[in-house]
Amino acid sequence: MSRIDRDPAARSRLIGALAMLVILWPLFQAAEVKPGVLFDPGNLKVIGNFLAGFLPPETGNEFLGYLAKATLETLAIATAGMALAFLIAVPMGYLASGAGREKATLNPVTRSLLTILRGIPELVWALIFVRVFGLGPAAGVLALGLTYGGMLAKVYAEILESVDAAPARALRHNGADRPLAILYGLIPQASKELASYTVYRWECAIRASVVMGFVGAGGLGQLMDQAMKMLNGGEAATILLAFMVLVFAADGFSGWLRRALDTPPANRASPFGWRSGGLGLALVVSIVASFSYLEIGLKSLLTLGPAFDSVVVEAARSIGEFVAGFFPPDLSAEWLAKVGKGIWETLAISVVGTLLAAVAGLLLALPKWRAPFSFLLNTLRSVPELVWATITALAVGLGPFAGALALALHTAGVLGRLYAEALDNAPPAPGQALRLAGAPGGFAFLYGTLPGAAPQLIAYTLYRWEMNIRMAAILGFVGAGGLGQLLYFELSLFHHAQASTVIIAMLLLSIAVDQASAWLRRAMR
Amino acid sequence: MSFRLNGVGLTHANGFVALKGVMLQAEKGERIALIGPSGAGKTSLLSVLGTALAPTEGLAEVLDFDQNFWLTAEVKKLRTHIGSIHQSPPIPGRQRVVTAVLAGKLGQWPAWKSLASLVYPLDIAGARAALERVDLADKLFARCDQLSGGQLQRVGIARVLYQQPELILADEPVSALDPTLALATIRLLIAEAEARGATLVASLHAVDLAIGNFSRIVGVKAGHIAFDLPASEVTVPLLHDLYASEGDELPVQAHEPHFLSQAAANEAATRAACC
Repeated sequence: MSRIDRDPAARSRLIGALAMLVILWPLFQAAEVKPGVLFDPGNLKVIGNFLAGFLPPETGNEFLGYLAKATLETLAIATAGMALAFLIAVPMGYLASGAGREKATLNPVTRSLLTILRGIPELVWALIFVRVFGLGPAAGVLALGLTYGGMLAKVYAEILESVDAAPARALRHNGADRPLAILYGLIPQASKELASYTVYRWECAIRASVVMGFVGAGGLGQLMDQAMKMLNGGEAATILLAFMVLVFAADGFSGWLRRALDTPPANRASPFGWRSGGLGLALVVSIVASFSYLEIGLKSLLTLGPAFDSVVVEAARSIGEFVAGFFPPDLSAEWLAKVGKGIWETLAISVVGTLLAAVAGLLLALPKWRAPFSFLLNTLRSVPELVWATITALAVGLGPFAGALALALHTAGVLGRLYAEALDNAPPAPGQALRLAGAPGGFAFLYGTLPGAAPQLIAYTLYRWEMNIRMAAILGFVGAGGLGQLLYFELSLFHHAQASTVIIAMLLLSIAVDQASAWLRRAMR
Repeated sequence: MSFRLNGVGLTHANGFVALKGVMLQAEKGERIALIGPSGAGKTSLLSVLGTALAPTEGLAEVLDFDQNFWLTAEVKKLRTHIGSIHQSPPIPGRQRVVTAVLAGKLGQWPAWKSLASLVYPLDIAGARAALERVDLADKLFARCDQLSGGQLQRVGIARVLYQQPELILADEPVSALDPTLALATIRLLIAEAEARGATLVASLHAVDLAIGNFSRIVGVKAGHIAFDLPASEVTVPLLHDLYASEGDELPVQAHEPHFLSQAAANEAATRAACC
């Protein structure tokens, strides 16, 4: 081969592939990937017996009663949590956003507070609140409210900054105050995106509140946890079915709501019709109903009877002591090394899980196989990672591999659906042209369709990986390795100083992921 | 015989009749230009020849394959002998030029070679030779989204040159190129067809380009063949009759009809409303 006919990209490709191997190999080691364990006869027997127990699903009246109660509780936690999050998000988003300001100032205090709120996973908040307020839904609501408040505020602020600033600036130059300038100049442009994101978050909140039961914050998760601990397959099956119905219903409802946002306003003085009025009423009713169902009354916090005083003082004192226990964090070299290992394990779980999911998701998204497997994709996706982790832990034993598998199962469902959409949206002409030139279907796909969809596929995968790092940090709560396992142990042993270090590590990891993904996105552009 | 259409009709699923009763035959090595107003059925005719659409009536034989008795395996074999040049080049933007050109032979290569070429292009010399003929050898390892529209169109032509088909179908191959480049490209296609004894069928918008370069001119109008004559026998009244629906002027290279694009029209309307 003459020198001129050598591919100039070959060297960098080779180096890239080698670098991949060098990075991935230790990560796979750290995640303790042992495919053989999946087929270990002993494990197969345990999981086989457990799955066999799924049939028939438990349909006893008493259990169904519990299930209905837990489902309502889950819905109520999600709704109440979102209401709280909204209350936090609106003022914080207003403060943090540079929108409508004459000079773009990023309010650093609010911004860093928001980072802390959303950087610590809701499950960790829940775990802490359960210790403060005792077992029950209040911990779940507070945890959801804080984390989602942080997320909503950040996204609200960013949405308001991303729309055209000129209308608001013009209003301000005409003497309008900042809030009014935002209401009249920015909200009309951003309202659809704001509403749509809020609805999407509510959908996520339902999934999250299912999961929070695992740390004792009530709802379906708590029921699932009990069923799994007793290896009661029939009950687990019924609860899983309830999960799926709930998630599908929320999915459908939020889709309908988002489509409804597209309808143009009616031609009369008030732009609100029966649908918006009805929805508004339903929203208020469901929030009030949620709080009263969970028996979290503002009253009980505000009406302080004389006999109550000492109790409140006592409670405040114990909370204070509890919080003080977290400071100062344990920074001994020995403990830091352990936390470092936890971070590495968490990273390994997320990378392995996302890679497995990307491969499985792509296979399931191929047009050839999509039709028979779309139900499978939806099922994989509707079961939260933490629930998968309880099942994979049975199949391969406790440890990081169980976590990676759980991530892979859930993420394969999510990515499969996103990939399918991206492949459908990829320009069809190149693949079609190759097919007309006699290329076999598979190669027409590889040479024609895939390059068109690749940027989208990569972006989706990176985005999921980002979410999976956060998720990997808490999968350990059910014994699937990483930082979560560390935190769960230390909190169970009341080693608050050590737990505090782990929480800080989670926070730092989350911030690092944010920065890294922003950098990657810029680099890919 | 290169192809023979015998009473071919094409009715789309929505009931639109794109072709009716088309009789057209070509010998190996002929060079045919299809002309006619837009919507006349030039693209449909090329689609039938390229096996993209099966005729709903009549018989189409292409390169000795009887279209009405096609089996999938046979169609694949037939298609490797047909090269298509499209109005907008169907090439993914993030693909490298070398890969886009090599993709022309996917139907002829064994699977291992196609797979390996995704990682390391296995016939760089062949791709370079094809690109040299369209003056793009220096872009061999560039990414397609770094090229201009005209360059990308020439990559699409290089792919067909690399494929070495027996039948070349070109659907408005030069409508995106400037007049000089358009002429050079048409001449390149004709030279290629001549050198390899391949048949060339090109639909063209510019009448002068067709008559000046092709030996045989087929006028298509409203789904049927209006005339089928040697270039020397095509007269101006005949052309005016063909393009009657598009006004008095004949579409030629020198002054291509300019249509106001939608975006530009909107902009003008906005400006009018503002001031």
